[in-house]
Amino acid sequence: MNEKEMLYQKRLERYTTAMDCGKPDMVPVAFGIGEWIVKYTGTTLQEIYYDLDKSNRIVSEMLPGLDFDIFKGGPSLWWPPMFDALGSKLYKFPGMGVDENSTFQFNEQEYMKADDYDEFIASPTEWLVNHYLPNISTELENPGSYRSTIALIKGAAAFAMQGGIMGAAWAKWTVEHGIVGQGTGFTKAPFDTLGDALRGMKGVLLDLRRRPDKVLAACDAITPHNVNCSLAGAGADTRFPCFAPLHRGAYPFLNPKQWDTFYWPSLKATIEGMWAKGKRMLFYAEGDWTPYLEKIAELPDKSIIFQIDTTDPKKAKEILGGRFCLQGGVPTTLLTYGTPEKVKEHVKRTFDELACDGGFILDTGGVVMGDAKKENALAMIEAAREYGVY
Amino acid sequence: MLTDALSIAIAELEEQQVADLIKERLDSGVSPLEIVNSLQQGMAEAGGKFETGEYFLGELIMCGEIMQDSMVILEPLLSGSNAEYKGNIVMGTVKGDIHDLGKNIVVMLLKGSGYNVIDLGVDVSKEKFIEAIKESKAPLVGMSVLLTGCQESMKEIIEGIRAAGLTTKVLIGGNYIDQVVKDYVGADYSAQAATDGVKIADEIFA
Repeated sequence: MNEKEMLYQKRLERYTTAMDCGKPDMVPVAFGIGEWIVKYTGTTLQEIYYDLDKSNRIVSEMLPGLDFDIFKGGPSLWWPPMFDALGSKLYKFPGMGVDENSTFQFNEQEYMKADDYDEFIASPTEWLVNHYLPNISTELENPGSYRSTIALIKGAAAFAMQGGIMGAAWAKWTVEHGIVGQGTGFTKAPFDTLGDALRGMKGVLLDLRRRPDKVLAACDAITPHNVNCSLAGAGADTRFPCFAPLHRGAYPFLNPKQWDTFYWPSLKATIEGMWAKGKRMLFYAEGDWTPYLEKIAELPDKSIIFQIDTTDPKKAKEILGGRFCLQGGVPTTLLTYGTPEKVKEHVKRTFDELACDGGFILDTGGVVMGDAKKENALAMIEAAREYGVY
Repeated sequence: MLTDALSIAIAELEEQQVADLIKERLDSGVSPLEIVNSLQQGMAEAGGKFETGEYFLGELIMCGEIMQDSMVILEPLLSGSNAEYKGNIVMGTVKGDIHDLGKNIVVMLLKGSGYNVIDLGVDVSKEKFIEAIKESKAPLVGMSVLLTGCQESMKEIIEGIRAAGLTTKVLIGGNYIDQVVKDYVGADYSAQAATDGVKIADEIFA
């Protein structure tokens, strides 16, 4: 085993021990190289998004100087050319719809209408192909047409190209720098699939009062697809958790009764369905989930890693600690408005409060954007090593 | 305590009942302005329920939707009547950010409380904010931002407003807004919850 392989094994051990609620040799730390690198590399966000080779090169150059355990990835979350090939209305990308240094954003609309529920519920994927794709893509407006067929081929090719480029980059980072990736696969809460992508926030909230049965039936119809998605997209890997960004279940969108009735049962079924196949979820609870912690504690032990964003960390520890690994601890805004000293102090305090008996991964609460300062990001991982030895 | 049936119906989110009552009252000659006042009182009640934790955002959005549907009927009938606003407020999501859910809820609550809201939409530039403030002479401007990466743009807009010599009060809101951000961008007020906007406006326009 060479030095990098040993490093990889050591980090992997730390990560898996923490995931299983154990106490590794030191607190594992998760880190992403986010959009903030743009400020320090004389480039624009548009270049970073469109030119994957450039973005990956920047990551490759930075990695040797950074000591962390779990890599959350570089700044290129999406590769816009695939969306451009389809004439996608879903996102605005840097330089395409927003300023060249503004981050990507989701253009939320009622892409699925209230009248579409029955057809959707009868066969979700068929409805997606026949109606959703034409709704969200200018190039796919006329399914089966010359233009639409070419666009589909181009889009599929772009998707495969991105997969190839990113797969090669991750392989290089693993072999040359001994880094361990955070997760494999991508899924969502069924209610979020419906509320984010299809009906939109307002649409789904109104549906809760106007057509509650349809919402429930749709969530049930989505559930097996979301279980499958978590494993299919991960090539059936079960060592690492599947990333699931959770949105509409955050406080205070839904009242407790709505949360219990509409949000939770299908998400719980998704998690249980995944766990039955050995797949864990990175329960990326964006926003505040404090009022729902007791419900979340009903899940099978270790079936999720709970991400603490603006959820009360002490309550999360009290209610979920010991049975589920917790990840987070550093408020995202601290990396922008803090100083390295403040970040270090905070990391030390976080370890005292949350990490003491294991089952904890240090990370920023939410997604770190272009506003973060490099010195603060580096201070976080330095402090993790300084104070993180058990 | 509400006593008016229409106010109660909208506060309880009874969509059909609201529609029926509006029709009934218009048919019997009640002035559209009076009907709007009843609806506004009901909305204020819904806002109060949000503050006490009884209502969540889902209920506020539903209430706003009922109000909006009602106004489609009532607004054309209002012209000519002496609808008096409490004052002008300019609102928008700052440049670079296209999120509008939070802003729309606040706009809806402000309108429901009797303010004239000039809603500039999303991705609003410094120039557009300044122009709208000058034109409306609004004593208050509300700015929304979700993405932390766009807080810098909020700061630039506020600096621009000050550089233009405008003394309009600036209220900011958004998921990651706190005292630190407020101080950094140079805002006068920051809102933590959906209903804070109305409270702050009432303070300024008192």
